[in-house]
Amino acid sequence: MKVNMPLVTLLSGAALGVGVLVASMLSPSSTASASSTGATSPPSPAFTVTAPPPASTASGTAPATTPTTASATAPTSAPATAPVVTPTSASAAAPATTPAATGSSSTSYVPPQADYVAQVNGGGAAVAISVHKGKAVAYVCNGHAVAAWYRGSAANGKLNLTGKNGARLSVDYRSGKAKGSLTADGVQYSFSAPMVHGVVPTGQRPPGLYEATATVDGVSIKAGWIVLPDGSQVGSVEYDPGSAIPPTAQAPLLNLATGTAQYDGVTLVASLISGLTGSGF
Amino acid sequence: MTAQPDVSSPAPDRYSLGIGKLVVPSLIGGLVALTLGVYGRLHHPTGVVVNIAGFTSAGYVKSWLATIATFFAIVQVTSALVMYGKIPRVTAPSWIGRLHQWSGRIAFLAAVPVAIDCLYGLGFQTYSTRVLIHSILGCAFFGFFTIKMLILPKRGLPNWTLPLAGAVVFTVLVGIWFTSAFWFFSTFGLHR
Repeated sequence: MKVNMPLVTLLSGAALGVGVLVASMLSPSSTASASSTGATSPPSPAFTVTAPPPASTASGTAPATTPTTASATAPTSAPATAPVVTPTSASAAAPATTPAATGSSSTSYVPPQADYVAQVNGGGAAVAISVHKGKAVAYVCNGHAVAAWYRGSAANGKLNLTGKNGARLSVDYRSGKAKGSLTADGVQYSFSAPMVHGVVPTGQRPPGLYEATATVDGVSIKAGWIVLPDGSQVGSVEYDPGSAIPPTAQAPLLNLATGTAQYDGVTLVASLISGLTGSGF
Repeated sequence: MTAQPDVSSPAPDRYSLGIGKLVVPSLIGGLVALTLGVYGRLHHPTGVVVNIAGFTSAGYVKSWLATIATFFAIVQVTSALVMYGKIPRVTAPSWIGRLHQWSGRIAFLAAVPVAIDCLYGLGFQTYSTRVLIHSILGCAFFGFFTIKMLILPKRGLPNWTLPLAGAVVFTVLVGIWFTSAFWFFSTFGLHR
């Protein structure tokens, strides 16, 4: 019997589609959502891990990374190759103005005003947490379809924040780091985020959490970026953020020199949400 | 056993125009498109994507796969024009049929993972004109492609059916590319 090749092609495509679908369903960050709270998310395939520098390094030696290398070539924080971190002579001479004893001490010091950013464990997304005088704002996004904003109050160095669609974030920031877990869009992540310090190259926006809202083609959008200490960034855009389940996509590259981003011909002006200064609270 | 009409014998008069042979493939193709659309609309998008090392983000993987599919779709149309003798002073080489078949297979197989990620990770969305057009065309593409594949081995169809089906599939794919990869590259930059 003659083989019906077009039908074979169709069925091959269908089989490939089912295979990719099953692979997506079984991928670590998907299955992690079903696991119990506090579980460590295995590496997500969403992008390659760029491990954040340890807090002790960040606070002790003021490493002064050059973010331009990473951000000029990569719109998200997740270049497959690790961002080049180059100590510059100019900032090496700068004094380490970071607060002492917040780096890796294990005391139960609770900073009243602080900002934390990091990639989640496994590198599948980034998270930012800002605390300012008893109030807290947090954001997680993966530069794709996962994004969630959280708001709530702080008490005794712990946060239990909630967001839309069952998004939850619980964190303990008493040890100089913000450690905890979160759920966003049904995906669970755990994280251990070092505190953000104010040492940045001149003319650059500091690491931290940025947001911008605008109207593009008659649709209101809300963009969020997490700029990591190495200058890399992860950003997502929510469309119609007031709706129950806002569609989410990758955000355009945030220009760290100007604090703006171009999106479909509209200039988004990003503002820093800072627990240190209270801006954005 | 009771007497039955001889169902195995064809009824050539009824299908003399050949258009009747398009009914079942069209229904199946419509069902494919509808299934994808309904799934994309009902399934809650997870954002979970399978990325490939060496690319900045899943958006780039998808954009390049879509570009590969579109490139081979152009090979499709070109080789079809050669086969049909529509390009002056070019006689079809012996391998043109094989080129047409394999370029089509590659284009289709490159498009499938992109579509799965769109449906599973992002869903059928309507928040802007570009996204709405892309969602509709994306679902329609696999419907039209199914129709084309199902009518391909059939004999006795009107001459215009295959060229029309191929043209529709190609046009829809190019529309998909312009509303996704072209937009993505022009928004986020042309690189990996």
